[in-house]
Amino acid sequence: VTQRIFVANRGEIALRIIEACDRLGFETVLGVSTADRDSLGAKRATRTVVLGGPQPRDSYLSVPAVVHAAVATGCTALHPGYGFLSERSELARACAENGITFIGPSPEALDALGDKLSARALATRLGVPVSPGGTTASLAEAERLAPEVGFPLLVKAAHGGGGRGMKLVRTPEELAEAWPVAASEAEAAFGDGTVFLERFVTDAKHVEVQILGDRHGNWIHLGERECSVQFRYQKVVEESPCAALDAATRSILTDSALAIARELQYVGLGTVEFLYDVERGEVAFLEVNPRLQVEHPVTEQVTGVDLVREQILVALGEPLALTQEDVTVTGHAIECRITAQDPGRQLLPSPGTVKRWRPPAGGGMRLDSHVFEGYRFPPFYDALMAKLISWGPDREAARERMVRALADFEIGGLVTSRDLLRDIVAHPDFAAGSVTTHWLGDSLLSTEVPA
Amino acid sequence: VDIDLEELAAIIELLDKTDFTQFRFEKGDLRIAVSRGGAPLDGVAQAGVAAPVSAAAHRTADVAAPAQTVQEAAPAAQAASAAFDETELGPDELLVRSPLLGTFYRSPKPGEPAYVEVGDKVEADSVMGIVEVMKLMNSVPAGVSGEVSRILVADAELVEFDQPLFVVRRLP
Repeated sequence: VTQRIFVANRGEIALRIIEACDRLGFETVLGVSTADRDSLGAKRATRTVVLGGPQPRDSYLSVPAVVHAAVATGCTALHPGYGFLSERSELARACAENGITFIGPSPEALDALGDKLSARALATRLGVPVSPGGTTASLAEAERLAPEVGFPLLVKAAHGGGGRGMKLVRTPEELAEAWPVAASEAEAAFGDGTVFLERFVTDAKHVEVQILGDRHGNWIHLGERECSVQFRYQKVVEESPCAALDAATRSILTDSALAIARELQYVGLGTVEFLYDVERGEVAFLEVNPRLQVEHPVTEQVTGVDLVREQILVALGEPLALTQEDVTVTGHAIECRITAQDPGRQLLPSPGTVKRWRPPAGGGMRLDSHVFEGYRFPPFYDALMAKLISWGPDREAARERMVRALADFEIGGLVTSRDLLRDIVAHPDFAAGSVTTHWLGDSLLSTEVPA
Repeated sequence: VDIDLEELAAIIELLDKTDFTQFRFEKGDLRIAVSRGGAPLDGVAQAGVAAPVSAAAHRTADVAAPAQTVQEAAPAAQAASAAFDETELGPDELLVRSPLLGTFYRSPKPGEPAYVEVGDKVEADSVMGIVEVMKLMNSVPAGVSGEVSRILVADAELVEFDQPLFVVRRLP
């Protein structure tokens, strides 16, 4: 049987998936919105079908349209990419009901990981470090626990979904105010007034471990990535490995990630995210992203493993071709997300026509992008234009290559984040490897006038 | 049907890269007519002409079927992936397009007569077929009145969003 993969995504990741399928000899069907009919992905896929109108809810977020298109075009498997429907157990179930292999974890794993508190409970059960916290049934109990947890802390419903009713509390007085409100909200929404307190880590590095599992009981990790350069929880620059980790901390992270993978019988690619408090030397589990990540190329550049290819093969039932011993990290890779966003206006989106597009060429550089000269960057989707990735034998070499490549990248016609990215990778704090998740907002993108 | 400035801008953006002189879009009570190169718009009050693309969007009381796109004989802004060449349309011919992606059925149930055949007269609210998406049946209203002159898609075929399904000839 020739595999035919339905690509339920757009932009650079649709191209990346199509390219991986091409090399595997698999056919591809790309579902597009009317705004993406002339995209590069539409040209490269074996076949393209129009799912619906430009708004994501009418096309890329429509489970019925996506599954119907995959079935009707005879697809054997479906790759959801990242974002859009990639973490929706509803899509994974609909695929299974229609005999299509979902390239991602089981619906049960998606549900278990989708709820942050249940994911935290899972981590706690496995002995994975989590940020200090606990459940409280009364305000008095909360006031006893709070000093152990430490301020600032988050107050939220212990049972029930997501971040509903979550409050940030900075003082004991604020806790006395917030606790009864959170308890009654939890009682009203979920029928259980138990309230959860958790330390809010304000200044830490974001470190995540790449995991990969097959259907035959094999799990490996592919090292870690650091993604501390963020703005409003949006990652801007990523790298692998994380230079700030010592061997002992790295082992805690990778052992924890593998324990979670094993417990969930996790199939496919996943990312286990942690916060790393450098000063305290503490790590805390954040969440698991059950999908391919935007920043996967940095791992590919230092390990030489084609993650998308492996992800597709394990989903189709192949045993992992790699053992943990086969995975070695060589050198250092940095990725910059070039976006259609205006750094002068707090990264406001700036769609428009790409009048000039001349990427840099050079040793150790990689560009993942769906943009070409004359491309009309649509206003309906995320602002990612390209991922520029540099590799070097060490971090400094990769960083210097990136500074030069960004300076050489000619982009015209619309405002992009290119110059901001160059300022970031050229900054002494970035060079020193000391940045934390609040650094970008407090420095280059700070709205406060310097004293 | 509500259309915001961002959507309007996106439509004009999409149009700008295609070859056309006139474009009309109707959805619910919304009508957009665009002409290019300073050519006057047929039968539409112009709201200003600016090269290379001018747009006049206004609401009318005309009844058009909901969720149905109807396009007059102007060349298509975007050809659907179906092989139908929209430049072949006569000046009095209109297209009925698929309101969504799904499986197209010409009759209410297998074995029953088709909703419409070539030569049938249809009104705007006439049902011309069904598009099934994951077991949900959606009727395809004509959106225009006239006589069915061509049927472009076979029964039980996958149709894409916006794909031409029928050609309807306006009657004098």
